[in-house]
Amino acid sequence: MSEPISDRPLDPYLDILGLDLPPDRLNEALDSFRSVLEEIRKLRELDLTDIHPCVIFEPTAAYRKEPGA
Amino acid sequence: MSTTELWARPIESLAPAIRDGKLSPVTLTEAYLDRITRLDGKLKSFVCLAPDALKQARQAHEEIRSGSWRGPLHGVPIGVKDNYLTADMPTTAGTTAPGIEFARRDSAAAARLRVAGAVLIGKTRMHEFAWGNVTPPVRNPWNLDRVPSGSSGGSGAAVAAGLCAAALGSDTGGSIRMPASACGVVGLKPTFGRVSRAGIVPHSWSLDHAGPLTRTVADTAHMMAVLSGYDPADPASQDRAVPDYTRALGKPIKGYRIGVCRNHFFERNQEAVKQAVEAAIYDLAAQGAQVIELKIPNLEFGLAAIYAIELASSTAYHDRSLRAGRTAHFTPDVRTLVEMGRLVSAPDYLKAEQLRTVLTEDFRQALDKVDVIVGPTTPITAWKVWEWSVKVGTKSESVLAASWRFTFPYNLTGLPAVSVPCGFDKEGLPIGLQIAGRPFDEATVLRVAHAYERTHEWKDAMPAL
Repeated sequence: MSEPISDRPLDPYLDILGLDLPPDRLNEALDSFRSVLEEIRKLRELDLTDIHPCVIFEPTAAYRKEPGA
Repeated sequence: MSTTELWARPIESLAPAIRDGKLSPVTLTEAYLDRITRLDGKLKSFVCLAPDALKQARQAHEEIRSGSWRGPLHGVPIGVKDNYLTADMPTTAGTTAPGIEFARRDSAAAARLRVAGAVLIGKTRMHEFAWGNVTPPVRNPWNLDRVPSGSSGGSGAAVAAGLCAAALGSDTGGSIRMPASACGVVGLKPTFGRVSRAGIVPHSWSLDHAGPLTRTVADTAHMMAVLSGYDPADPASQDRAVPDYTRALGKPIKGYRIGVCRNHFFERNQEAVKQAVEAAIYDLAAQGAQVIELKIPNLEFGLAAIYAIELASSTAYHDRSLRAGRTAHFTPDVRTLVEMGRLVSAPDYLKAEQLRTVLTEDFRQALDKVDVIVGPTTPITAWKVWEWSVKVGTKSESVLAASWRFTFPYNLTGLPAVSVPCGFDKEGLPIGLQIAGRPFDEATVLRVAHAYERTHEWKDAMPAL
């Protein structure tokens, strides 16, 4: 568990994203993320307000029986 | 029967000989082990061989001799990608990072193969944690200076080189179909929910698929007969009847509606790929199929969606390793990808899942008009080892961006898609034709693939090693 969040300013990478990396690794990750972000920015432009995401909560899954049970 | 040619035979040829007592599984297993010993030093497709491979073969031999033939895979040596758990061999998922260990028990697919009497001959090499398309240090049997693609590169190379009769692969963005295309073999990503992933080291839960790589379409049908079916241990598994896939083979495709999506799938391909795939479409039409050109919208947003889902999921799976600092021991490319996943925001992830809904509907509408959608499996043939960008037309682009462009839409939509060989480029590198269909309609996909395959001789071509 990391230190409690006190009154100090939040670090967007460490506190919000949980990305606990030394500066050189963080820069590497950010630099590599550029091409991904370029694509994601296109997606952000789409209005998908009325679209249900492909994520379905299935409350009976835990009750599925093993074969032969 | 000459043992020197056994390794070149597909399961559809080996199985009757084994069943009729004309070929012993022991002889067959010895032939593959001998070939592995002679060739795998340069291919590096296996990470380990089953210590009891010959014992498994002898057991199959005895059973068959006593009249208990279990089916077409009985006594047939199969390679297993190293992210499938196996009881008798260690699993590494392609990593050498310390502190990461996997259980010694059979994955659902391995267990099904054992019940079918297959000889699990060894574990095939994969890109670390299935997070890549190169599979170092595996080499492509058609040209040892080229990659086999990935992440199931060991499986693709091993089947192409005749080191096993078939192999298991896994496919999150194209990892069965890309190496199948690059190595000149058949690779099927079944419908999401058709083949259990229980006991496969996860990469991205909602994108991962399990499936086979084989020499022929009929062999894929035989593998699917064993691998398919409901498994409550896989939350995505669906309880649906499994058809006899072999019954779809050898049937005419006259009147079948073949969809050709000209946007996305034909916008940027190497010239040899374009020509081979156009010729394949022409050949399908010559068999009486109706070619229907169509446009599927929103594909240009697919790359963002699969990046967001795959990165976020992989990072969530590797969270323990990240927090423990073990990712420092991952290979540099995989380490960066796993660290980078935390940069994907939750709204972006969910927007990606919303786009999946849109794409799934777009494909449903397309598949209302056609029976299958065909196109290239990849826009490029196998690239040189350590080459990170390739020229496609006049544009240079990264091999990662190019290689999975046509495969990942079917991971996002969960539709069945097969890659079947459809020719070679001028450097002798294989080209793959991708055929996709409706959910749980692998039978139609295989029927069309087989109709194409049997009117060509690509499946008989073997690399000179």
